[in-house]
Amino acid sequence: MTPPGPQVRKWYQSLNAEDARRMTTAAGGGIVLAVMTGPDGSLTQPLYGFQQSVLTAHVIGYLLFGLVIGCLLTYRAKVKDGTWRRVRTAPKRTLVERLTSIKSALQRGMLAGSGLLSAVIAIVVADFTGPVARNKMSWHVLGHQFLYTRTYGYLILAIALWFAVVNQIFHLTNLRIQSLPRTVVAAGALLSILVFSLTSDPFLPARFGWKALNPSANNSLFHHWTTYLWLILGALGTASYLFKRRSSPKIAAPRRSRTLVVTPSMRILTYVAAGFLVYEAPKYLSLYWQISLYQQIGVFCLLAIGLNIVVGFAGLLDLGYVAFYALGAYVTAYFSGGLPLQPPFHLNSFLVIPFAVVIAMLAGVLLGLPTLRLRGDYLAIVTLGFGEIIYVLANDWVTVTGGSAGTGTISGFSVNLLGIHYVWNPSNPLSYYYLMIGILIPAIFLFDFLNHSKVGRSWAAIREDEVAAQSLGINALKYKVMAFSMGASTAGVAGVFTAVKVGVLFPNSFVLSLSITILVLVIFGGMGSILGVLIGAIFLQWLPSYLTFHSYFGYQQTDLYLYIGALLVIMMIFRPQGLIPSRRRRREILDSEAGLGSADSLGPITQEQPS
Amino acid sequence: MTEQDFIFDVQHVTLRFGGVTSLNDVSLQQSRGEILSVIGPNGAGKTSLFNCLTGVYEPQEGSITFQPVPGKSISVVGRQPHRVARAGVARTFQTSRMFNALTTFENVKIGVEAHQKTGPIGAMLKLPRTRREEKHSDQRAHELLEYVGLTHRTNTLADSLPYGDRRRLEIARCLGTNPRALLLDEPAAGTNPSEKLALGELIIRINRELDISILLIEHDMKLVMAVAQRLVVLNFGGIIAEGTPRDIQENPRVIEAYLGTNEEAAT
Repeated sequence: MTPPGPQVRKWYQSLNAEDARRMTTAAGGGIVLAVMTGPDGSLTQPLYGFQQSVLTAHVIGYLLFGLVIGCLLTYRAKVKDGTWRRVRTAPKRTLVERLTSIKSALQRGMLAGSGLLSAVIAIVVADFTGPVARNKMSWHVLGHQFLYTRTYGYLILAIALWFAVVNQIFHLTNLRIQSLPRTVVAAGALLSILVFSLTSDPFLPARFGWKALNPSANNSLFHHWTTYLWLILGALGTASYLFKRRSSPKIAAPRRSRTLVVTPSMRILTYVAAGFLVYEAPKYLSLYWQISLYQQIGVFCLLAIGLNIVVGFAGLLDLGYVAFYALGAYVTAYFSGGLPLQPPFHLNSFLVIPFAVVIAMLAGVLLGLPTLRLRGDYLAIVTLGFGEIIYVLANDWVTVTGGSAGTGTISGFSVNLLGIHYVWNPSNPLSYYYLMIGILIPAIFLFDFLNHSKVGRSWAAIREDEVAAQSLGINALKYKVMAFSMGASTAGVAGVFTAVKVGVLFPNSFVLSLSITILVLVIFGGMGSILGVLIGAIFLQWLPSYLTFHSYFGYQQTDLYLYIGALLVIMMIFRPQGLIPSRRRRREILDSEAGLGSADSLGPITQEQPS
Repeated sequence: MTEQDFIFDVQHVTLRFGGVTSLNDVSLQQSRGEILSVIGPNGAGKTSLFNCLTGVYEPQEGSITFQPVPGKSISVVGRQPHRVARAGVARTFQTSRMFNALTTFENVKIGVEAHQKTGPIGAMLKLPRTRREEKHSDQRAHELLEYVGLTHRTNTLADSLPYGDRRRLEIARCLGTNPRALLLDEPAAGTNPSEKLALGELIIRINRELDISILLIEHDMKLVMAVAQRLVVLNFGGIIAEGTPRDIQENPRVIEAYLGTNEEAAT
């Protein structure tokens, strides 16, 4: 007698009444939610929303969403190791049993906490997506939303979502089998989010001419806040799957540490989200901030990540950094004929960039070669002097630089190549912003690669122990000059961007205090960490303008440095490593406080040279 | 030992700091593949000798010749430390000098990478050669950690390593640079007896398996006697004795200057 072979069954044969119940619940929930969150539902006319919104895209969207969730739940319940099973996964329990049998108080606490949190989130979501607060971030109309059923609808939805997330967390920590392939989950989640956000957009019917709700609605896909919020929720949901630990459930391993491992897919998701934000968010800013994004924030981000190479990566104190910035700016002025000294040929502002890079780099090498042999405070003093020399040259060498009266006009950015004609126009500040992003993002990635390469590690070695680094064959001087000149060339590029935007240069814009400001950006954000430096730069460059508009406690612009100084002092007391320090730098600062290592290559040499 | 096949040839080296003479007319020769130990009381000039051999100090008089391969002579005097290192001289330090904030693995990797060609452009753009070298240095660093027995500490921060492991790490970092000569400055300082034993074995293994000449400064006479093939005794900047471990142990001048009575030698 042959043993019975594995029973082959079609997947639909595995379904039973339980699954049907699950699907109808999900779909019904979708319809209820659709009615409640629909754009027209209100407490005063509870059924008006139902009448108005049945069979609009909105309802269909929620229905689809509910069905997708139902399918996912069914799939997860029925499929184990890739095959469909008929057996029930859980013993039949009443609702009361379910509620009381949750394993521990911890879980109940988490549920309660997440329920509260979800309520807050739901109200915010309802507020931002509600018809009153359409397309603007506004807290003023917060209370109004309670008149609409959609607030309550979102509340329910949010609680359900949080329950799902918490459930997911328990799954992770208990290392239970996740039968659904991750790619399927991610794809399904993204698809459903797309469908859902498309259809839940209250302006969609109008777009298809089904029902002229609002003829003046903007037809951009990403016009409505709903889309963003659902995208964020979707990203979070997807992330909770992607963060899943890759461990075999078969091994009854002891609980491991709960640190999350960032998977490549997670990283890509973050990049996509960040890129999307960087692309979209400025469109919602006021004109003032759109203009500020380029010069006040973008250029300073560029300067800060450049100085971060010198100060953060190589551990050298450069107090004359602004000199290279000025050099870049004046080179631009020279090549567009804005200086008394006329160039042999005029150059498009884009073509000036390589010149500015090379000239600033050469200046960095020339200054660095003799001075980077110095140690400690000497380097700071020499760079300080260099910054002053450049300032004095710009101010007093009138026949070349135009002196304190300023340069002539500098031509703007324009492209006229291979049939593409585009002129950057100050009346469109976002075009400048995107240009800045176009140089900033590659720079960020290149510098990050650099920091995590042989070169970055060599800098770390020199910073920590120059003698040991040299004993391994690392040419300390070469690497220091390299860092110095790379920082310089970045400042040169920033100089080009500034010159082109402001149009006229005055020596007064390149004074010592600017060098110190840039240094503060780097120190505040966290030396050695590109992300930290960027955030520091954005925050500290944003703050003054913000304070100008909202003068708290009688704030006046002249007080700015007082406040920034105070902020920095507090920072140095409580968080000397900066806002978001790099891991290496944080450890070095902790080490040097404990008397180990030197934290930067400025420290006194321990072995004296023979005299 | 043939006259030509030496790894280090030190001739009449004198090193002065102002009025203080740290090394006085020191001459010694280390033959290829030899474990030579330099011993002597504190302040005898042992570490100064090391610093001269690695280019950190420039002696006022005398010549130091290094032969990475037979027949290729390099003068160490006047050469910068990183260039001496590149020629094939690796060293450890009396007080261990790790890159404390980096992991064990990164420490070794820096040693391997110091001799690779990747420049800033290649590193920024992740050019093919950079990727290739990166792969190689990763693999080599893992091999070296395994060789010195630190695999279980791969991702530990250097400053949280126990003393014995730090010494091993320093040695692994040196081996990463593919040296022909390895200079160990008191590697056993601060280690416990079992670590000392393992260290001695490691030194012998490096010498035999990797064919690296070793110059060793050490106060622990048990380790020196077990490891070294030949000894040089320094006192007040000059060589007072030279010979096999047995000869040195019986040399009255050495006993007077350094070894002392049996009780003292044990410390």
